Amino acid sequence: MLTCKEQVERSSDYLDGQLSFRERLLVRHHLMFCPNCRRFIKQMRLMQATLRKMPESPVVDVDVDQLAAKLASRHRDNQ
Amino acid sequence: MTIVDETVLLERLLAGEQQAYRELIETYQGAMRAVAYAIVGSRQADEAVQDAWLAVVRNLSGFQRRSSLKTWLLTITANAAKNRYKQNRREVLLDDLPSPHGTIGDERFSGDGHWLLAPHAWHEDTPEALLSEDELRECLEHTMLSLPELQRGVLVLRERQGLELEEICNLLEISLSNVRVLLHRARLKVFATLEHFEETGQC
Repeated sequence: MLTCKEQVERSSDYLDGQLSFRERLLVRHHLMFCPNCRRFIKQMRLMQATLRKMPESPVVDVDVDQLAAKLASRHRDNQ
Repeated sequence: MTIVDETVLLERLLAGEQQAYRELIETYQGAMRAVAYAIVGSRQADEAVQDAWLAVVRNLSGFQRRSSLKTWLLTITANAAKNRYKQNRREVLLDDLPSPHGTIGDERFSGDGHWLLAPHAWHEDTPEALLSEDELRECLEHTMLSLPELQRGVLVLRERQGLELEEICNLLEISLSNVRVLLHRARLKVFATLEHFEETGQC
């Protein structure tokens, strides 16, 4: 049986589907019996979802209209 | 973006329609910047993205559609960033930096590997509820900025941009095992920040 520490060490690989079949079973088995680690994994997933939804920091110093105009005109010049 | 959307957008781009370039920039600039940031760091990331846009325009008519538009754009960005610094990576790949709220480290476990200080329940259980607090959002940004550049780049590409680990390896030219290590370290630090905030209500 994995320890909690070993479970945490494998948590990213578990979430990313990077564990071997055997290791995945070991993690699942640990989670089945350990409420603390279940909470940890649940919170890791919440952390991931939070990062996914976080608004991107605005790109500084980029005028999108100006850049679009420049790219479009470059493209036309290339033709 | 679906294949149909992409095809329509490409036709408009090839016709030189300015609004199409605007849409392209707004859709992909964030992901391109994350790639550039991971490779050249904050100081040259914007320049590398500019280089990439010019290369995109030069090569657009030759785009073969063997990959998705996104993959193609990110590959061009990675190449542009690599051209900006051919020699030494500025940081040794796996060098680490301390994070504002630490990480989930050895001190959280007893000698036999059990939790000494187990995660406690958080007040919020949806991303929307967490992100509704401005201070937490700023706190998370602060932690992201404290990460070593390559670590942050990998985290952003994975979590915000949804790239597969293999794509990240290819773009950044680092091994899968290094991507896994960097991602895990970054996540545990962000986790520690969230935990700290949920516990104390402040950053």
